[in-house]
Amino acid sequence: MGIIRLLMNFVFVLVIYCFIFSVIRLIYMDIKSMNFFRANENSPYLKLINQREMLNFKVEETYAVTKNSIIGRSDKNDIIIKDPFISSSHAQITIRDGDFFIKDLGSKNGTFANENTLKEGYEQRLNNGDKIRLGQVEFLFVNAVSDK
Amino acid sequence: MFGIFTYRKPINYIILINLLAYTYIFYNMKLYKFDTLALGFGVILLLCTAYCIILKGRLGDEYLFLIVSMLLSIGIIMIYRLDNGIGIRQAVWMAIGIAMFILSCQIFRWFKRWEQLAVYYMVAAVFLYLITLIFGRNINGATNWIIIKGQSFQPLEISKILYIFFLACYFRKPDRLFFENSKYTKPMKLRLNRMTLVGFTFLNIGFLMLQREWGSIILISLIYIVVLYVFGKDKLFYFFNVVFAIPIALFGYFFVHHIKVRIDTWLNPWADIAGKGYQITQSLFAISSGGYFGTGIGLGRPDLVPAVNTDFIFSAICEEMGVLTGVAVILLYMMLTYRGLKIVIKVRNGFNKVLGFGITTMLGLQTFIIIGGVIKLIPLTGITLPYISYGGSSLLSSFVILGILQAISKDDFADMDGEINEGE
Repeated sequence: MGIIRLLMNFVFVLVIYCFIFSVIRLIYMDIKSMNFFRANENSPYLKLINQREMLNFKVEETYAVTKNSIIGRSDKNDIIIKDPFISSSHAQITIRDGDFFIKDLGSKNGTFANENTLKEGYEQRLNNGDKIRLGQVEFLFVNAVSDK
Repeated sequence: MFGIFTYRKPINYIILINLLAYTYIFYNMKLYKFDTLALGFGVILLLCTAYCIILKGRLGDEYLFLIVSMLLSIGIIMIYRLDNGIGIRQAVWMAIGIAMFILSCQIFRWFKRWEQLAVYYMVAAVFLYLITLIFGRNINGATNWIIIKGQSFQPLEISKILYIFFLACYFRKPDRLFFENSKYTKPMKLRLNRMTLVGFTFLNIGFLMLQREWGSIILISLIYIVVLYVFGKDKLFYFFNVVFAIPIALFGYFFVHHIKVRIDTWLNPWADIAGKGYQITQSLFAISSGGYFGTGIGLGRPDLVPAVNTDFIFSAICEEMGVLTGVAVILLYMMLTYRGLKIVIKVRNGFNKVLGFGITTMLGLQTFIIIGGVIKLIPLTGITLPYISYGGSSLLSSFVILGILQAISKDDFADMDGEINEGE
């Protein structure tokens, strides 16, 4: 009985410290995304609509879109999201004359812009406030410059 | 579906610790009362429901509530172990508190003109103090309880919040709050406003002195000094305030018997172990008997410490759950304070900024004052440990200010609902 008691005390302390650790980890991720955002305040960016804690993979709160970028699961992409429902190279954002276009790159589960499925190869123009959904994640396209 | 039970979600640890603790108490106390398990499930259900409401309702920062729910869990486990009846009552208070938390969050967001009510805050605070003076009952040495139909509560807890609201009103437009339309010259207006600020602070301190509430006096004056340091523009004014506080403190030490006793027992509690130093020495014995991992819940003798449910709960936690848990509790409070400050940094509205800062300062300082007192770091003053100590009014007021902080934190999240450039 004495050993169980001692073990129980260890477990209590351990659980409380695990809790503190997990909260600090989440707070750390939060701060990191904040710094990232600050560096690119004026450029257009993708903003995550999902609650980040509901997703089981790593995803930032914001992704700056400064050049032509490919979104996908594989590590060679510009925007890497480890969602199992996202293809290894899923979609591409192209910049032409200051306008933004999104194109599906033959993904398995499709890309949605404002809830419409994108046909493969078709380039959809992105406006400020458009919603993009790929896999489980949903982004808001924010382009503050074009509004002014 | 199994993604819910991942080690990365902090809420799972809260569920785990409650399950472990109540099962342990159930077997260990040799009473086999099923109330224990029922209480455990009730607490878990409440905390999870509230957490889900915060996540789904997009009420802003969710870490605040997570940290607080861990503190609440530890508190209720400890209080239940000390006294079953009081523990269940505390859980009921917690349920009411969580409802108040969500309510105050919504009301704070719904009502937009908090910054225009400065005069009402002052009047309400004075009114509460006067009520306490006239109808107050003396419980445990301080005359600050009001009893209505068998329910006792401390109006003091409300007036502290009112004081922070007043500070927020003042610092939103410093030196221009009152007498805006009067015919005084500008420097005169500035002086009059500052006199109102200092006067109201001293009014609070004076009334608290009549109630012999030394802990709250220290709390209010420290909040005043810290907020003035952060938001005040005039260095000379700040300097005068600090210098002016020193002779008052010295006066208190030499001429007020209570304060002198407190400081003497802090310097040397061993001189009078059986009498004046009894509380603090018992608390130190309790902490030291626990060791690193504690004696185990239900196996120590925290009942030897006076006022162990309220002021001295920290020593009971240290004794039965170990000094490491005590350190963890302090870490949790530090995280809470950090989180509050982070919210405040991002807020743009001046009134909300000062209000959030005042609330965070109050929570942090209150913790410091009581934990410092219990471990003989600073002189002991009776004040409750927020979210852990037993006490309905203290718990409710802590939840109300947490709700306000939560509401303030939502400003960062406002653009998530699709209103993209609104706050920019």
